[in-house]
Amino acid sequence: MRRIQHVAVLGAGVMGAGIACHLANAGFQVLLLDIVTPGLAEDKQSNPDARNQLVNRALAQSIKSKPAPLYQKEYANRIQTGNLTDDLHRVKDCDWIVEVVVERLDIKQQLFAQVEEHRRPGTLVTSNTSGIPIHLMTEGRSEDFKRHFCGTHFFNPPRYLRLLEIIPTPDTAPEVTQFFLDFGANYLGKKTVLAKDTPAFIANRIGVYAMARIYQLTEELGLPIDVVDKLTGPALGRPKTGTFRLGDLVGHDTAAHVIEGIRQNCPTDEQAATFQIPAYLKFLLDNKFLGNKTGQGFYKKVDEKDEKGRSVYHILNLKTLAYQLPEKVTFPSLEAGKQIDDLGRRVNMFFEHSDDGAKLIQKSLLGLFAYASNRIPEIADEPYRIDDALKAGFAWEAGPFELWDMIGLETGIKRAEAAGETIPAWVQDMVQKGHSTFYTIQNGRRYSYQPSSGTYIEIPGQSSTIQLDYLRHQAPVYQNDEVVLHDIGEGVLCLEFRSKMNAIGEGILRGLQESIQIAEEGEWKGLVIGNHAQNFTVGANLMMIAMMAYQQEWDELNMAINLFQQTTMRCRYSNIPVVAATQGYVFGGGCEAIMHCDGVVAAAESYIGLVEVGVGLIPGGGGTKEFAVRISDSFREGDVQVNTLIDHFKTIATAAVSTSAYEAYGLGYLQPEKDQVVLNLEQHIFEARARVLALAEHYVQPIQRDDVTVLGRGGLAALYAAANELKLGKWASEHDIKIARKVAWVLCGGDLTGSQNVSEQYLLDVEREAFMSLCGEQKTLERVQHMLQTGKPLRN
Amino acid sequence: MEAYIVKAFRSPVGKAKKGSFQHFRSDDLAAVVIRHIMANTPGLEPAHIDDVLVGCANPEGEQGLQIGRQIALLALNKDVPGMTINRYCASGLETISIAVAKIRAGLGSCYIAGGTESMSMIPMTGYKLAPNYQFASKTPDYLASMGMTAEAVAKKYEINREDCDAFALRSHTLAAAAQDNGWFDDEIVPIEVPQVWVENGKRKEQQITVTADEGVRRETTLEALAKLRPAFAQGGIATAGNSSQTSDGASFVLVMSEDLVKQLNLTPIARLAACAVAGVDPLYMGIGPCAAIPKALQQAGLTLQDIDLTELNEAFATQALAVIRQTGLDPDTVNVNGGAIALGHPLGCTGAKLSTQIFNELRRRGKKYGLVTACVGGGQGIAGIYERLS
Repeated sequence: MRRIQHVAVLGAGVMGAGIACHLANAGFQVLLLDIVTPGLAEDKQSNPDARNQLVNRALAQSIKSKPAPLYQKEYANRIQTGNLTDDLHRVKDCDWIVEVVVERLDIKQQLFAQVEEHRRPGTLVTSNTSGIPIHLMTEGRSEDFKRHFCGTHFFNPPRYLRLLEIIPTPDTAPEVTQFFLDFGANYLGKKTVLAKDTPAFIANRIGVYAMARIYQLTEELGLPIDVVDKLTGPALGRPKTGTFRLGDLVGHDTAAHVIEGIRQNCPTDEQAATFQIPAYLKFLLDNKFLGNKTGQGFYKKVDEKDEKGRSVYHILNLKTLAYQLPEKVTFPSLEAGKQIDDLGRRVNMFFEHSDDGAKLIQKSLLGLFAYASNRIPEIADEPYRIDDALKAGFAWEAGPFELWDMIGLETGIKRAEAAGETIPAWVQDMVQKGHSTFYTIQNGRRYSYQPSSGTYIEIPGQSSTIQLDYLRHQAPVYQNDEVVLHDIGEGVLCLEFRSKMNAIGEGILRGLQESIQIAEEGEWKGLVIGNHAQNFTVGANLMMIAMMAYQQEWDELNMAINLFQQTTMRCRYSNIPVVAATQGYVFGGGCEAIMHCDGVVAAAESYIGLVEVGVGLIPGGGGTKEFAVRISDSFREGDVQVNTLIDHFKTIATAAVSTSAYEAYGLGYLQPEKDQVVLNLEQHIFEARARVLALAEHYVQPIQRDDVTVLGRGGLAALYAAANELKLGKWASEHDIKIARKVAWVLCGGDLTGSQNVSEQYLLDVEREAFMSLCGEQKTLERVQHMLQTGKPLRN
Repeated sequence: MEAYIVKAFRSPVGKAKKGSFQHFRSDDLAAVVIRHIMANTPGLEPAHIDDVLVGCANPEGEQGLQIGRQIALLALNKDVPGMTINRYCASGLETISIAVAKIRAGLGSCYIAGGTESMSMIPMTGYKLAPNYQFASKTPDYLASMGMTAEAVAKKYEINREDCDAFALRSHTLAAAAQDNGWFDDEIVPIEVPQVWVENGKRKEQQITVTADEGVRRETTLEALAKLRPAFAQGGIATAGNSSQTSDGASFVLVMSEDLVKQLNLTPIARLAACAVAGVDPLYMGIGPCAAIPKALQQAGLTLQDIDLTELNEAFATQALAVIRQTGLDPDTVNVNGGAIALGHPLGCTGAKLSTQIFNELRRRGKKYGLVTACVGGGQGIAGIYERLS
């Protein structure tokens, strides 16, 4: 079986360094090489440090960039650096060699010739090119080299964008192609998509078409760019950057290069006319207004703040080519869209309106349907490959064919044709055959239409994933307003949060209690808590707490907090294993809940934190208590204890959030003995189920703890002194210190005159009392209100 | 009976955690300096030594087990006792003053006094922060960290960032000049440091000899200093560049009664004319010398005008400037060879080290009175006045 341990990355530009970092994230030993530092003085020419200065600086710069390319800074140790002149021979020890040098065929060919001199037979070699035909690169190479060569196209930034296009040549061994499709998904956490060796492959070909078409329509309809960004951003299930701001982010020179590349290399493309650089984009290019990297592009940040203290941006008027303040233009369709959460319903709504905003969306979508469907089989054989590429590479919520399914196959055809688009025969043929969708779901698996066979095929890779969306046809085991309890097979249940932003309110708390009870009383092996939303949960529903605090309903509030505590405690103290599967934000109450589970399977991109201090509170759902337990468990005979206490205290008092799941171990939110990380976001519920099954074999309900060592006054004194430092250094306000002292109080078990063992319930009572006391503070209520209104923490 | 300083030496001062003494223990460092005193004092035998007084600000861990006694055993023999004295940054001067006081009181005739500190090995607040609960809950400002006190002093005495950076630059410039002129050569005891480490999987071994202070930054500029971020407080002015460096070092002096000096036919180099300590608000720790200096002057029957040279420990530029301005010290006579910002501040050693430096500078300039003063953690100041004799 092919195993990867050492990987060489040739080329340390933005992509090369980023790929090296992500390979380090995945645990590989990486060798990153670039050219010898040019222009070295005579006396430096034999100095290895000087010769590697270029590659070392490039790597250092990448590691410093935001968002961080490494899960943890320490992973930089997994990357060794060198230069292509002195160190290329080291590729003989590598199992995979990735080429990421400058986009010039002659240079790449020359490099591959050198690589061949050192490479062991059987070693994989790939190119990360985005524009050069893959098959041209291996000219003159050996048979073994060609068999083990293909394109592996990462997207920038490699850690965060999930797409990895795998592009075989006619010479690539099928086992090599299949290896990368599996390896990319299982080891690098990527959505791998098989692409053909056609210009710009799949994601950029379709994505750039969509962009160019919107550029065109914006001019035609005379719309301001900021409005188009709103229409083509979240309204259409796409990132907030929309279209023009995305261009600014990518850089217009890069974007123009790709547009030009497609125009030149696809002369027979029926949309060749769309791949033209519009005059206004030429204006930006001519003036080197290339976007964020040059400080201005379609948008220009001016030296002003609005009344809310936010930076003011001017926008480019596409007609006058002058920058101006955005006017507050809106459309009925855009406003209506804000009220609709479901993307399918929103898209259909846009087809019911006739304002210019709706027109832009209609025309761009219908064009997209036609363009994407006409690319089959040119760039991909099945629709799902195109949808997967756009979703993973451009962070779209739905790809062209999924959007089409939302509108309806036949409706889509009719509307597209009415708009002058040409729909290919294979789609017409589907209707003839009586099919009405590109996708179907059967037995929890998703199937895609395959034009070549005229049938539906199971989309590969689903044997190691569980998608709750594919289980919606089966009746839920239980549900309420905020949760759905699914049977995910093999005797395991999965509780899915469904509230707005997955905020934890009474519905979720009751749902958790009910689910555990159902599992305990029925023939279930255990429970997974997991969902596929962008964020696992943003934390407790603040509105609920705020209402009770404002109306001074203290008894009700006390009961609500008690319910929260008892619910998180149930996650641990039940007779079935409970395992959480997390991704995105795992904040506040969500963090408290997962800390009480028997295990956590965290997607690497899980941002975990007890953030309550930001809204003037302390973790009151057992989180502070749990930290006290973890502190106690880390005490060793003879150690000074207080340092562990201070570390954990700081984590809560500064509302520290991990920037990856791996970082959460260091903060004490995850524990190595019971929690694990998976790189692939789509596999976490599957892995959580496996964990439940493993635990269920020998599961015994844990016994509630009454041996938690707390330090009382001795610890409090140290924490009060530490908190005061934050105040003196102006890192914290008076109210921050008040809250920090409450955190200290709970962690130390109050002002006990000596260190003592206490029970979990005692600590929960202390925690609840401290939480309640803060709810009576005006400044806390101001913080809560500010968060509810603006989504941002208030420092008061 | 009068007591005299007969010898004074110091180790070079190493940069904590990255310098030459990062793995060299402070008891070993002290022992080398003390053996150097013995070797350079004809006729002096361990049997003459009544006690070894060791200043140390964090006497725990590697500096634990009553490090004064450990050093006496390491440097001399089992018959010589040793004691640890802790008045934080004043420790090294306090031990000298105790030795002088004992001799004047007739309780002994010969002491080795000074201090040693490894800031590489022991954290600033010790291994366990365990303040008094009453304090921590009612007056936590009394427990303020040193950096916060630097900011508090800056605010109260209106010290600005530009002046601090200029003061820091002066410290480095003067220290570099003193090194170039060889003015520390007579007082520094070369230290042989054995080093054993693993490189590329192989055990390696070497012995280095350290002869110079490691903290001086010759290349620093006002621009470079101005770029540094506040090290402690948000919007603060104390930076890593205008604060003292954390360091490793040891310094000791030989204090002897008039009778023994005569008996051994030695030449005294100075006498301690006065030494006083005073308490101040712990939050404004840095201003401590302002309270101690007048007490010492009064003891000695002198005025500030009589003072020829001052070694003012540069804990922070903020407090050094505040002290200079509040006391009216002549800035041109303060830290003429640079201070702790450039040369380092090995806490418990510092008082003895500054004493050693001032003996040599007074001699070089042919001057009489030297003031050694320092602020002290917990809100104190110390001031000692030496009269040079040779």
